[in-house]
Amino acid sequence: MTHRYDAVIVGTGLAGLRAAMEMPPGARVALLSKVYPTRSHSGAAQGGIAAALGNEEPDMPEWHTYDTVKGGDYLTDQDAAEVLAADGPRAIFELEHLGVPFNRRPDGRIAQRAFGGHTRDFGAAPVKRACHAADRTGRVVLDTLYMESVRRGFRVFPEFSLVDILLREGRVAGLVAMEFATGELHVFETRLLLLATGGFGRVYRTTSNCFANTGDGVYLAYRAGVPLQDMEFVQFHPTGIHGLGVLISEAARGEGGFLRNGDGQRFMDRYAPTIRDLAARDVVSRAILTEIREGRGIQGGDCVHLDLRHLGSERISEKLSEIASFIRIYLGLDPSNDLIPVSPTCHYMMGGIPTNLDGQVRAADGSIVPGFYAVGECACISVHGANRLGCNSLLDLVVFGRRAGQKMVKDLSLLDRTELSSKSESRIHGRMKRLVESRGEVRVPDLRSRMQSVMNRYGLAFRSEPGLRQGLAEIRELAEQCAFVKVENRQRGYNAELMEALELESLLGLSELILVSALQRTESRGAHYREDHPLRNDKDWLKHTLVRARTEGPEVIHRPVVITRFEPKERVY
Amino acid sequence: MKTISLNLRIWRQKGPGATGEFRNYETGPLSTDMSFLEMLDVLNEHLTLEGEEPVAFDHDCREGICGMCGAVVNGRPHGPQSRTTLCQLHLRQFHNGDTIVIEPFRAEAFKPLRDLMVDRSAFDGIIQNGGYVSVNTGGAPDANALPIPQRAAEQALDASECIGCGACVAACPNASAMLFVGAKVSHLALLPQGQPERNRRVINMVRKMDELGFGNCRNERECERVCPKGVTIRNIARLNREFLRAAFLSEEE
Ligand SMILES: Cc1cc2nc3c(=O)[nH]c(=O)nc-3n(C[C@H](O)[C@H](O)[C@H](O)COP(=O)(O)OP(=O)(O)OC[C@H]3O[C@@H](n4cnc5c(N)ncnc54)[C@H](O)[C@@H]3O)c2cc1C
Ligand code: FES
Repeated sequence: MTHRYDAVIVGTGLAGLRAAMEMPPGARVALLSKVYPTRSHSGAAQGGIAAALGNEEPDMPEWHTYDTVKGGDYLTDQDAAEVLAADGPRAIFELEHLGVPFNRRPDGRIAQRAFGGHTRDFGAAPVKRACHAADRTGRVVLDTLYMESVRRGFRVFPEFSLVDILLREGRVAGLVAMEFATGELHVFETRLLLLATGGFGRVYRTTSNCFANTGDGVYLAYRAGVPLQDMEFVQFHPTGIHGLGVLISEAARGEGGFLRNGDGQRFMDRYAPTIRDLAARDVVSRAILTEIREGRGIQGGDCVHLDLRHLGSERISEKLSEIASFIRIYLGLDPSNDLIPVSPTCHYMMGGIPTNLDGQVRAADGSIVPGFYAVGECACISVHGANRLGCNSLLDLVVFGRRAGQKMVKDLSLLDRTELSSKSESRIHGRMKRLVESRGEVRVPDLRSRMQSVMNRYGLAFRSEPGLRQGLAEIRELAEQCAFVKVENRQRGYNAELMEALELESLLGLSELILVSALQRTESRGAHYREDHPLRNDKDWLKHTLVRARTEGPEVIHRPVVITRFEPKERVY
Repeated sequence: MKTISLNLRIWRQKGPGATGEFRNYETGPLSTDMSFLEMLDVLNEHLTLEGEEPVAFDHDCREGICGMCGAVVNGRPHGPQSRTTLCQLHLRQFHNGDTIVIEPFRAEAFKPLRDLMVDRSAFDGIIQNGGYVSVNTGGAPDANALPIPQRAAEQALDASECIGCGACVAACPNASAMLFVGAKVSHLALLPQGQPERNRRVINMVRKMDELGFGNCRNERECERVCPKGVTIRNIARLNREFLRAAFLSEEE
């Protein structure tokens, strides 16, 4: 079936929905989402959304800009950080007026709380900058923006998955999507295409990301000829529930909880003697992994313990009730009596599809791909640099989502339609046919699980040249086995197995690009840590990585970082 | 590791119009640490290998956040554990040899799609009739233009806990959506942003709810018992109050 639209937005998390709000009445706009829109992953964000309102204590956008740049270990493009911080207060005001019930101060103004890395006076002391709606900030903002788009009457295609992007002569012509309920392929002819497909934490075994976050949008953009930027920068959260990846927030350690290794020892003393268990996310993650690697995991295995027992059941139920209920639900444990098994979990992708400040996708030579936009976690503006600060992602989604939407509206009148060839579906059709008719024996869950093991072993918070080379070899071998994947399920509709087979190709492709990018960056910066190159090296590496598809395989090139006013300094907290 | 084996009685239905039936499946030994949805994953893996169609069910976050999952387990939406979603249910809640009956959320307004999946887009229809604020978003960026007492904000926040899973409708003997609508109406009625459209909102949403075939609330309180987020029937009381107030005012106009 073929549909014709002026603009198609793929992904209905906060980024996609905020962009949609800009679309004028009467424009033919379609929204596609792999999952039902309000189930998008943005709903999982708990901590809050940062903006320098200064409601609790003096604060300024300039300080927020500085924190964002420093948090990103100076890989952040500073013009982007300036836009983010300067537009923050307006964005919160807007959300408030749309009906987001933010927590309030006694005087009725929006309440704000402290969050890691957000400071006043250019790093002098922590500042309260995170606005929040209890611990469900993402959820309520998502519901609010979805209500908006329903009201505006945009056509929503729920449970439609993007499976191919169609570019012609270097510009957008359309896309192909698969309808989950029927298995049918739909061709969308469109002048403008916005990708807001979120992250791809699913390349790792343990992740806080949901099942839909498989990076199809990012990988399909790469296959269509767009380079991907800063793919080596993957943020890990130190305390995911072991084996599940479900987050236990920093609050647990903030209240006095601490980590113990298999010998029962409080090991953070050795890694960060002053702030111990409250050190930065990357520091704690690496400490846990060192313990595990040196055989001091729990029973020699791959997790450590989080100990909350000394806090007592009263304090736990008063201050950490949410966390305690999580632990009870997922592990059947009582944190006032039991130790909690935790390990680092993949949390956020700093890298993605390169764009300018208006969400326009940039080709390898820096030029714009007409009609093509990306925003949110799938994009790399790059506002988060080498490491994202907590609460800056939600702000990124609404600030840059709006800008991308505004730019699209302007471009609507400029760009005309490109004819689609009649064989638009043939490429994806061929792929699907191969999967179902394959004589191979390889099963999707098995291959995916092997990929995740490889990524956890070599691509986690510890990296080195031999490990990355080994990991790359193994991932490439697994990618070859993709040709022998067998989809047993022959149903047309609701064929989850076929969906997962298609997603696996994206995941394997992205795994390779993460490792390739990590291998070439011979320094340590932000979330990227190389044991064989433990220091940051601004002389050679103050630049973005771009990886693009070549017939011989991925090729790496670089692009300079935009520096406006903050000269790189060492990142110490 | 403790393991148990279970007898599953699962509702199978090929499509919207098809007639469905319960079918029995025996599981091998399963770890009690396994989640309920993982158990269905394992079952599906077996079914697929045996050439039988896997059981279709909805899920996404598997963390109790997105509201996507849901089925009636032994007569109770989201299963026997209170204040949790189906994806948060674990096999520790069951005993070796238990029979577990698993069926979709049933309500006139939720059309069955396949197996355990139902179409909950009727909720969207209700939202479309007023679950939003129409304001000019272009105004001056003063984020403190709307002081709101923390108490009102807290009540609005409680109401906004609703994840739209539909368990309340499935639990209600009358398939009423009053808890859902009550939560949505309360959230906005409690905030100043929601005032301009306050009366029109409640009347339109209630009218739409009736039109879509949701039943009426007879105070059975089943909805509140199964709500994974603990949304209380105080929201239904507020809805009724709002509705009466709006109906009264519109008569006056
Ligand atoms: C547990 C957790 C807590 C977090 N807490 C915070 C926080 O407190 N503050 C903060 O700022 N950030 C937080 N983050 C990060 C933040 O939530 C995410 O970065 C952000 O929500 C991403 O939003 P998005 O709009 O880019 O994509 P998402 O919300 O992930 O949405 C992606 C959309 O794309 C669709 N999609 C994907 N693939 C396809 C396809 N092939 N076809 C069609 N549609 C597709 C999906 O259906 C979905 O609609 C948190 C993240 C996690 C995991
Ligand atoms: S799958 Fe998201 S709430 Fe259960």
